[in-house]
Amino acid sequence: MPEREVVIVPCSGIGKAFGSVGREAAYVVTEELRPGCTSTVCLSLLTLGDEETQRRVRQHPTITIDGCPTACARVNVEQAGGKPAATFRVFDVFRQHKELKVRRVSDIGEAGKAMARILAEEIADKVDELRKQGE
Amino acid sequence: MPRLPERKVGLIACSGEELPEGTVSREAALRVLELLRPGRTVTLCLPLFLAGEERERAFARFFPTIAIDGCEKRCAARATEMYSARPAVSLVVSELRERLGLDPPNRVRGPDTAREALALALADLLAGEVDRLLERPGAGSKAAEPVAAIIRSDGGAPGTGKEAEAVCSCASDIPVQKVDVDGRTVEVIALPLIFSQFLQEGRRPDEDATADALMEQVRIYNSIPVDGEYALRRALLSAYEAFCTGAAATGGA
Amino acid sequence: MASELLETTIDKFIFRVRQGCWYSPVGVWVQPEGSVARLGLSDFLQQRSGDIAFVNVRPIGTVIAVGDEFASLETMKVDLALDSPASGTITAVNQRLVGSPELVNQDPYGDGWLALVELRNWEGDRQALLDAAQYLEAIRAQALEEMGG
Repeated sequence: MPEREVVIVPCSGIGKAFGSVGREAAYVVTEELRPGCTSTVCLSLLTLGDEETQRRVRQHPTITIDGCPTACARVNVEQAGGKPAATFRVFDVFRQHKELKVRRVSDIGEAGKAMARILAEEIADKVDELRKQGE
Repeated sequence: MPRLPERKVGLIACSGEELPEGTVSREAALRVLELLRPGRTVTLCLPLFLAGEERERAFARFFPTIAIDGCEKRCAARATEMYSARPAVSLVVSELRERLGLDPPNRVRGPDTAREALALALADLLAGEVDRLLERPGAGSKAAEPVAAIIRSDGGAPGTGKEAEAVCSCASDIPVQKVDVDGRTVEVIALPLIFSQFLQEGRRPDEDATADALMEQVRIYNSIPVDGEYALRRALLSAYEAFCTGAAATGGA
Repeated sequence: MASELLETTIDKFIFRVRQGCWYSPVGVWVQPEGSVARLGLSDFLQQRSGDIAFVNVRPIGTVIAVGDEFASLETMKVDLALDSPASGTITAVNQRLVGSPELVNQDPYGDGWLALVELRNWEGDRQALLDAAQYLEAIRAQALEEMGG
């Protein structure tokens, strides 16, 4: 990863549709909005002590994306010794756009994709801010 | 009549974000849960599991689990064993793909025929493993023989591989009982409920049919090694006899 | 607090029912406190509903009869209208839920309470409600049916 890149860590929770939306948002950021200067890591690899993953989180600013208030991504990153530079929750996007109902974990549909994109754009702005801070 | 818990299989998918195989693990698990074996499976959320959610961990102590990992790092399998008990089955998508001779997936999201084909094949295999764990042979998997890349832990009570945790945590209402099997202490899940049910049905401890029925019921909740069956059978019957004697002394079940 | 709660486990889900409360079949609990009662959502109902994003309770001073809608909740899964299990006048609304609706999920019998009601006919209203043990049985049967157990 080039210098001053930002690592995105979604919870990818499988129990709630919020987890799927957060995962999608992470990919929108890394593949479409800010390719080349962002990447994801597997949350479980980080928590289970994978050295390379832990090194990346220590060396680069990290943004966590949680589905719900339980905040597993943030909690797991902190438990692994990391300190997120920013935390986002899909739940908060839903609070602002309650017309976007997402009912299925396996298929978030157009409403879920719309929610993911809204969140991804917020995260992209934060990525820009964090990268500027490092200059 | 005591209510015996319905046995289900927990699916724990790595959902790894870095590889398309992580998406495959997730898609396959959800397909089994929603379509192929609804009502017979439960998903365990790996992030919650890692964060310390007790109900996820407790389920994996008492019920069989299948860990589905995207790659050889086996995060789901390792986490399950670390915090609960060894999964009954461990599958790795990347290894299975090679065994099945399927094309590698290309994308972590969006349309990808190779990823979709792999997820469908994996889901079918998973359904077969669920059936096997629930002892419903032939109801699901198209594979005639188990694919070599599936690791099964069949020895002992669920979760052995390391010592199973103490009984009846506050997070579960499934009681266990220890029995002496040829000098070895073995924990048998759901045994108190089984004994209560048998007593209410009037089954006598001195009948062979009772021993057969005990083994059949115990097998639903516990893995029994083939070479330990006879010893366990004797131990269960002896424990049931003691249970009946105690119930008679106190005037009820 | 743990000793006041009855529990039942279905699969990986633990459902808790607080003793000393009365429950409508839908899952609204009533905790009498003298001439008033506190109302809230049962643990079972909050788990089924999902993460609560908005809570709207009718304002202080509203007179409600049994069966009148006294609150509504919005989650990503459902919009839930809650009928009052008791008749009376709303005397307080939990303002913390405006900024922290997740309290209903995190602490449904404590900080996640919804409203206080000055009771008008508690002895009569109570006859239609379930005590904790009865409600526990009811949710267990419902959960087993819904989860395919």
